[in-house]
Amino acid sequence: MPFLVPPELHCLARRGEELAQLSSTSPDLEQSKLSHPNETPPLSEFTSKNPANRKRGRASINGRTTATMRFSISRLLTAASIIFTPLLLQSSPVSASSSSQEPALSQSSQPASASTVISSDSEYHEQLVLRPLPQSALLASFNFRSNISVSAFEAQNFRFFPRSLGQILQYAGTRELHLRFALGRWDAESWGSRPWDGAREGGTGVELWAWLDAETDEEADQKWLILTNALSGLFCASLNFIDGTRTTRPVMSFQPEGDHPNSTIANTHLLHGTLPHEVVCTENLTPFLKLLPCKGKTGISSLLNGHKLFDATWQSMAIDVRPVCPRETEEGRGECVLEIEQTIDMVLDVDRSKRPRGNPIPRPPPAQDLKCDPSKEYDSDNACFPADYALGQDWSLTQIFGKTLKGTCPLTDPNIPPVCIQVPNSRHIFTSLGNKEVKDPSGNSRCYYLDPEGSFEMVLPPMSKDGAQHTAESELVKGETPLLYAERSFMGHGQERGGVQAILRNPSWDTEVEFVYMESLPWFMRVYLHTLEARINGQKTSYDSVVKEIYYRPAVDRARGTQLELRMVIPPASTVFLTYDFEKSILRYTEYPPDANRGFDVAASIITIRSPSNGKRVPAGMRTTSLLLNLPTPDFSMPYNVIIFTSTAIALAFGGMFNILVRRFVAADEGPEVSVKRMRNKAVALGRKVAAKFGRGGKEEGKKE
Amino acid sequence: MPSLLSSAFSLRRDPRILKIPPYLSLVCIVVGVVWLFLLPLDDYSRRTYISENALLPGQVHTYFGGSDQNVFRAYKNEVVASDIAEANNTEVNDKLEGILKGVGLKTGRQSFKYESRSWGDEYEGENLYAILQAPRGDATEAIVLVAPFRTVDGKLNANGVALALTLSRYFKRWSLWSKDIIILLPPDSLAGPQAWVDAYHDAHNPSTVSSLPLKSGALQGAIALDYTHEGRFEAVHIVYDGVNGQLPNLDLINAVSNIAGGQMGMGTALQHMYRHKNNYSDRLQTMLRGMLNQALGRATGAHSCFIPYHVDAITLQPFSANPGSGWHDEMALGRLVEGSFRSLNNLLEHLHQSFFFYLLMHRDRFVSIGTYLPSAMVLAANFTIMAIFMWVKSGQPQPGTKTTEEETTEGDGDKKKPAAHAVERELFLPLGLVTAVQFLGVVPLFLFNHAPASTLSPLFILITLLSPLLPIGINFALPSLSQTGRLTPQHYQLFHSFSLLLLGMFLSTLATLNFSLAFVVGIFSAPLTFVRPVQNVAVKLLSAVVLNALAPTTVILAASFYVGMDISDVLREAAFGWEVWGMYTSVIVWCVWWPAWIIGATVLLGNQSIAKEKTL
Repeated sequence: MPFLVPPELHCLARRGEELAQLSSTSPDLEQSKLSHPNETPPLSEFTSKNPANRKRGRASINGRTTATMRFSISRLLTAASIIFTPLLLQSSPVSASSSSQEPALSQSSQPASASTVISSDSEYHEQLVLRPLPQSALLASFNFRSNISVSAFEAQNFRFFPRSLGQILQYAGTRELHLRFALGRWDAESWGSRPWDGAREGGTGVELWAWLDAETDEEADQKWLILTNALSGLFCASLNFIDGTRTTRPVMSFQPEGDHPNSTIANTHLLHGTLPHEVVCTENLTPFLKLLPCKGKTGISSLLNGHKLFDATWQSMAIDVRPVCPRETEEGRGECVLEIEQTIDMVLDVDRSKRPRGNPIPRPPPAQDLKCDPSKEYDSDNACFPADYALGQDWSLTQIFGKTLKGTCPLTDPNIPPVCIQVPNSRHIFTSLGNKEVKDPSGNSRCYYLDPEGSFEMVLPPMSKDGAQHTAESELVKGETPLLYAERSFMGHGQERGGVQAILRNPSWDTEVEFVYMESLPWFMRVYLHTLEARINGQKTSYDSVVKEIYYRPAVDRARGTQLELRMVIPPASTVFLTYDFEKSILRYTEYPPDANRGFDVAASIITIRSPSNGKRVPAGMRTTSLLLNLPTPDFSMPYNVIIFTSTAIALAFGGMFNILVRRFVAADEGPEVSVKRMRNKAVALGRKVAAKFGRGGKEEGKKE
Repeated sequence: MPSLLSSAFSLRRDPRILKIPPYLSLVCIVVGVVWLFLLPLDDYSRRTYISENALLPGQVHTYFGGSDQNVFRAYKNEVVASDIAEANNTEVNDKLEGILKGVGLKTGRQSFKYESRSWGDEYEGENLYAILQAPRGDATEAIVLVAPFRTVDGKLNANGVALALTLSRYFKRWSLWSKDIIILLPPDSLAGPQAWVDAYHDAHNPSTVSSLPLKSGALQGAIALDYTHEGRFEAVHIVYDGVNGQLPNLDLINAVSNIAGGQMGMGTALQHMYRHKNNYSDRLQTMLRGMLNQALGRATGAHSCFIPYHVDAITLQPFSANPGSGWHDEMALGRLVEGSFRSLNNLLEHLHQSFFFYLLMHRDRFVSIGTYLPSAMVLAANFTIMAIFMWVKSGQPQPGTKTTEEETTEGDGDKKKPAAHAVERELFLPLGLVTAVQFLGVVPLFLFNHAPASTLSPLFILITLLSPLLPIGINFALPSLSQTGRLTPQHYQLFHSFSLLLLGMFLSTLATLNFSLAFVVGIFSAPLTFVRPVQNVAVKLLSAVVLNALAPTTVILAASFYVGMDISDVLREAAFGWEVWGMYTSVIVWCVWWPAWIIGATVLLGNQSIAKEKTL
């Protein structure tokens, strides 16, 4: 990876086996490239400013390294002339509700949302929403959205839409794309519901799903291969490892977010793939920022910094591309646009983030700086019951992100405030001069229009706890209760079989919750579907009362994984324990990765909530954590030992046998006499010989003299 | 070749060959014991080393200390105060949970209740645990820090609990954890952790142990703190024995001992050998103590119950060999835990590189299974050799009894060519007896695990007294079951043969699972190899006394007397271990050792009963 990873981040280096296997995948990459009919020689219209890249592109033709291969594919796509345009977006409006296009920030109802005016002015906007969470956590949601009209997209007249991504989409016939990079856990118990209702969230690692335009399944697979390989190069992630075993075709879980005419949706295929083992890190952030019009130089994206982003307790980077058609108005229908939405959500630990970069080690503070609880009777100079967690948040934007916010991105829509913070209006917030504050009538949110040139600073001072009116509500905006709590873990122990338990809890007292629970499991986890069992509140109930519908696609060894989708309904205020058993299969010797004893990652299960009351176009969702499956692992040194032992045995046996066969045995009296006398005679003879030699030498010397 | 074969045949016919096996058996026993005593020598043991490169012990700076000590003192005050004020475990947990939640951890509680009549009082309590979620992690792996409220001796582990609380607060500040850290605060050291670890792996009985409300990923290692020592300490005692003699991966012990010795300048001790001079006798003593613990198979600390689940775990106990000496304080132990957790945090794979079967004799000396196993195997082989010998012998005409028995009346001609042809063996009675006695072992096993606690002690005395009478009874009863109405020497040879065969088989199998237990049982039953039906009354009496001195019941009584434990306590603990930990030592004693001894005693007393029968 060309990006240096700072040591304190402890980004796990990508494992060696991936690099090793990368080279093995490059041939199909090349094949897919060559087999495409529209291929033109690469670099013909290549307009890179970087000659080094050009070189890399050329080098890739040899297919020697994948890193260069990745570059070449994107360059190639740049050069490829597009004959068929898959994104034939018709202008027919499909009753698109504008709410779907609104940023799903319920508390910050903005007067101007991107969807209301799709004009050249609002082709791009960005917004950062900060929400302090309980216990020194801070949610920062970055949202960047740009549009391109379909005609401009087809003409490759990219303005704000990233060209590199646009051409991949065109080439791979992608109608709608969703890409997620996620890390960490969302703590729903204390933080409440997820940002965007979980719609912009992915399972740990990388998750990708897309609607591809294809006539047949084979064609869809082909395009999926192209898409994953191209995105792999673009985002420096091992997306090319999403092969048949990790790809599923969800039936119930996902619905397209964009507006697709009925005629085209019939010909699209939904494919979904996950890489639970992928460690998201700086090398994924940089290409992400490069897709933005302001490239992380100005505007809110200037706050994004790998050091802070990847130190976050939870973070999710999302890219969503979808066609959006405006509603029919009196003036007629507008043109459909292709919308790209890039989202970064992260939960920062304020205490951790405030540490200076030069001194990131959390040394114990000096004793006098320790905040103690003086009410304890033993409180003294050498005993201190710490009271810091009760103190509440106190931070400034620069402290948190380690950078200052440098003005606004000049391309952004000026009607949309770039920075919002969700705290009660009664709370004081200090900002730098030259910015306009707009308080939301709901009383829980305020936004800032920034000075385009100056830098922006915001300070959240600590709240004084002395006031009588101080309550938890006056300090923080309480998060909404999520529709569902989900948790998943393994049961059992041992290397032969195990079980999976998912605990799903509906916190609502009056409404039931309907959702689709989807598992895509690796093939070496052999699920026994007959053991699937649902218990409500710990009691065994008939299974039909909870699980309404099952879609199950069994695994095929080494070809595809298990896909299990369950449509479930949980009654109000109840907990469902969903369990099933599985058997662990034994892999072939060569199928184990070098770190076989670590275990195998099992992707997060995907929950898509279909709540009738919600009414939103984008369904709420969530992901459970991923799991680590321990398979029976052979002792890999054993074959070595066996080889050594058998070799030794064969060598000894063979040596002995060979000796017996080849050597001639003679009786002792037939052979040459071996006795002391004979030895002595021999020695004497030798002595004489030597003496004679020296004697002669001496004589010769004497002659010379 | 033909000459070789013929010489082999002639050797087989040679009566001298039949004289060898008893001596061979004796040699096996001697070699087995001597082998064990050679192990502490430099030539037979090895220096320990870190096998897993990812551990990197002692390569990090540890920062725990400074003002954390003030926090530690405050927490210790809280722990001591809550222990005095609230007798109820739940109320103590309320207080501790408040502290853990204040730090920002997720907490969970689990109640458990183990009760059985066999150990009298019931073990009831509530485990409190907290999960420090890895800042960027994904609940796939976890490390456990256990601080039981009471240690194995029942003392208040105030320092340990306070240290765990302080460490959890300190660990929360770091962002480098790749695995979750679970802080487990069970009310006691023996039942609580077992309930928790069972429930974590869903191997619990839901009626007695409740499920865990909160879980994390696969456990990669556990460190328990047993810190009752007050004031400064000198070194750390590492307790590593697991239930049923299972041991943690040697890398874990080595890593901790390496961090303690290298980075902290803190000594480590094993098996209560606080003053280890690294000479032969100290090494031998450490090894024998380790073997004894392994043979007993009981839990020695809060870590023990983790090991059967393949979670490598140890307990750390600070100590001072000389009271008042030492300069390390609580923070030093905290830094040791910090360093060890940083090492475990580095692990990419589950600990698997180093040894799981070893005998430690010094903190940096060990013998691996390949070196020590032959000792127990040779010992077990002695029984098998003798069993084969007895089988062969039973197939030969009995020279001594020929004159008195009808079935071998072939005449004196046989004497000239012994072993010319085999005698038919009567198998039903020997097989039946050995099987019956083997299954009879289930009776004491069941009784001692299910009888009320108050009756355990009398019951044991009863069994102790019945055990010597049983062989006599068998000798009285059996002749009537025999076809001929009396027992021949062949019968005794076959009893002996089958019993020894089983014993040899059991012990060699057991040696691979629990070497020490197999070795101890092997040593105590070694005389069973040499028992014969003796005619001489004085010899018979003497042998019977010796044999009774080595009976399982006598040995258990003597051992409990030696360590100063009441026999009822021993039995209670055995019943508790069987029920809670799944400890199988009592199975070995009652179903392997005891039946073998009964048959051995029957064989020894054999002819006496025949003689009695004759006189009647």
